[in-house]
Amino acid sequence: MSNILTIDTSTDRTSVGLVSNGLLLLEFHHDDPLAHGELLPKMVEKVLSSGNSIDLVAISMGPGPFTGLRVGIAFGQAFALARDIPWVGVSSLAAMAIAHDDPEFIVAIDARRREFFCEHYLNGKLFAPSRTLQREDLALITLPVYTEPPKPLGMATLAETSLSVLEPIYIRKPDAHPTPKGVKFRAWTQIDLVEVYGLEKLVYLDDPWSMAQFKEEFAGTTRQYLVAEYEGKVVGYAGIMLAGDVTDILTLTVAPEFRRRGIGREFLKRMVDWSRNQQVDAMMLEMRINNIEAEPLYLETGFRKIAERSDYYGPGLTAIVMRKELRK
Amino acid sequence: MNNGPLILGIETSCDETAVGIVRGRTLLANVISSSVEEHARFGGVVPEIASRAHLEAMPSVINEALRTAKISLRDLDAIGVTAGPGLIGALLVGTSAAQGLALALDKPIYGVNHLSSHLAVDALDETRPLKPAIGLLVSGGHSSIIQVINLVDKVSVLGATIDDAAGEAFDKIARLLELDFPGGPAIDRLAILGDRNAIDFPRGLASSDFNFSFSGLKTAVSRYLQNTPKTVRADVAASFQEAVVDVLLTKALRACTETGVEALIIAGGVAANSRLRSEAIRRCAEAKVELRIPPAALCTDNGAMVAAITSLAVSAGMTSSRPGFAALSTAPVERPIWA
Ligand SMILES: [Zn+2]
Repeated sequence: MSNILTIDTSTDRTSVGLVSNGLLLLEFHHDDPLAHGELLPKMVEKVLSSGNSIDLVAISMGPGPFTGLRVGIAFGQAFALARDIPWVGVSSLAAMAIAHDDPEFIVAIDARRREFFCEHYLNGKLFAPSRTLQREDLALITLPVYTEPPKPLGMATLAETSLSVLEPIYIRKPDAHPTPKGVKFRAWTQIDLVEVYGLEKLVYLDDPWSMAQFKEEFAGTTRQYLVAEYEGKVVGYAGIMLAGDVTDILTLTVAPEFRRRGIGREFLKRMVDWSRNQQVDAMMLEMRINNIEAEPLYLETGFRKIAERSDYYGPGLTAIVMRKELRK
Repeated sequence: MNNGPLILGIETSCDETAVGIVRGRTLLANVISSSVEEHARFGGVVPEIASRAHLEAMPSVINEALRTAKISLRDLDAIGVTAGPGLIGALLVGTSAAQGLALALDKPIYGVNHLSSHLAVDALDETRPLKPAIGLLVSGGHSSIIQVINLVDKVSVLGATIDDAAGEAFDKIARLLELDFPGGPAIDRLAILGDRNAIDFPRGLASSDFNFSFSGLKTAVSRYLQNTPKTVRADVAASFQEAVVDVLLTKALRACTETGVEALIIAGGVAANSRLRSEAIRRCAEAKVELRIPPAALCTDNGAMVAAITSLAVSAGMTSSRPGFAALSTAPVERPIWA
C-alpha cells in the first residue's frame, strides 16, 4: 500500500494529486501562471485534510519556466524532508506522454517567448531528443501535438517505474552567465578601431557600419565608447551618445562566442551609470524587432517599448524604440 | 534560560540562503549559504542566479541548522519565513519550502517582513529588556530609519532613501575606484589608509526630514575623479565613507531626539562598516543614547532574524499566516507579520 502525493508546477497549471496503487484518489488543479506559490499550499492542505497517509512525493522537475518550477520543487523537497519520506523527480514531458497511446505524437510545453519545448514519441518510446521549436514551426507538424499538462496518474506511474530526475530541467539556460575571468572593460582607443570594424562586419553581415563611420564616431564628442577585451582581443563594444535631454545607445555588440556571459549586461550597466552622470531624463535605443537575445536584457534593465519604426534597418526590418526613465 | 517557543526561520529574499533556529530569545543556530561569489562576477546580484542557488542550497542548509541546534523538525513550535520585500523569484523558494515544512509537520507558519526582522536580532539577548528604539537599517538593499515601539505590531518608517541604498552607493563608488564587489568591505579597507577630511563631499538632503539621498554624493565623487585624475584613491574612499556615515548618524540621532526614544539599533550589512561603528559609539555616548549593534553575523541577511521575530510573534499570541500567503517584492514595514 503506497500513497503518492504528486506536485506539478512546470506549466501555467498548478496541479496536486493523490494516487494509491494506480488509482486516483484526489486531484486539484488551477491555471494561473503567476500563482503557483499561493495555489500549491492550499491544494496540499486539502489533500492532507482527507486524512490519507503519504508515503512518497512525486515532483515534476520540468522542463518548465524557472519561477513556477522552483515553487513545486522547493515545496515538495521540504515536505518530504519534514515527513522523512522519499521524493522522486519526474520529467513533465514524460508524464504528459504516458497519458497518450497514439503510435506517434509530440508533447509540448509552452516555454514562453513564442517557443515550445517538445519531445517526439514513437510506439510508446521517446523517439528523438528533446528540442525547442518556434510556435510557427510547431504549427507545421502534422502529428498529434499534446500540450495538456502532466496528470497525477502519469506522474505516479513514472515515480514508481523510472529513475528519479534529480536536477530541475529549466526550459532555457539562464539569461546570465558569468563574464569569463579576464574580460576587461575600458574606453576604446584608436588602435581598437580595426578590431571593432572586423567584429562589426562579422556580426552585421547585411548592413555593417563603414570604417569611415567608426572614424567619425571616434572623433565625435559627447559620446562614450567602451570595448570588452579578452586575452588581448576585442570581443565586444558599445557606444552611447548624449542627445539633449536623453542619451542614445548607438551600438551594443558582442562576438557570437562570447554572448550570454554577462558582457552585454556589463556594457549596459556602465552606459546607465554614464547616462545618470550626464543627468539626462532618460535613455533611448533602437532594436531590431524579435531580437530575442537582447530584448530580455533591455526589459530587465528597465527599458520599455515606446514606438516602432518600420523599415528602419532596411525593407521589412522594423525597429523597436525603447526608453528607460532615469528621473524618478 | 531554556524556555520560550522553538522556532526555525528561513530567509531567501536576496542572495543568502539562510536558516536560523531560536528558542525564545536564545540563538541556537544561524546557517548561511551565500551565492555572493557567483554574483561578484557580474558586479551585482542577478535574480535568476540567486533563485537557482536558493533551491540547490535549501535542504542542506536546513539540515545543517538542525544539526547545529541539536533538534529535530518535530520539536519545533512554529516556522517563520521572509515573505517580503525582496526578489520575488528568490522569496518564492523560501516561502514554498517553509510551507512544505509547515504543512508536513502540521505546525503554524508566520510570513514575516524582512525589514522588521533585521531589527529583531536585537531581541536575541535575553539579558536585556526589550524597549522602544530607533532602528537605522542600512544595507545594499535598504536605508531606512524605523521607529520600533513593539517589533511585532508597532513599527513605522520615519524615513528612507529616495534613490540608492547606502550599500548600493558603496558598490557604485567601489566600481569607480576599481575595487571589488561587494563594495562596502573594499571601501572600508581602503579608507583606513586615507584622510577622511581630504575632500568635502556633499551630505545630501541635509534638510529636516529623515529621508536619505545618495545619488548627489555619487555624482560628486564621479565628477571629482574625472576632474582630479592624480588623486589619492584612499582619500576619496575615506571622504566618501565619512559623508555617508555622517548623514546616517546625524539623521538617526535626530530621530532619537525628536521621538524621545533612548536606544538606537543599527542593523543591515553596512552596520559592519568600521567607521560607522566607531563614530556611532562616540556620537551615541555624546547624545546619551544606548547603542545596540548586533554581532556582524546577525547584521547581514540571516535566518536567525526571521526566527527571532517569529518567536516574538508566537510569544505575543499572534495569529499565524494562512496557507498560500503571498510573497511580495514590496511590502510595508508597518505589517511585520503576514495575515
Ligand atoms: Zn536585508
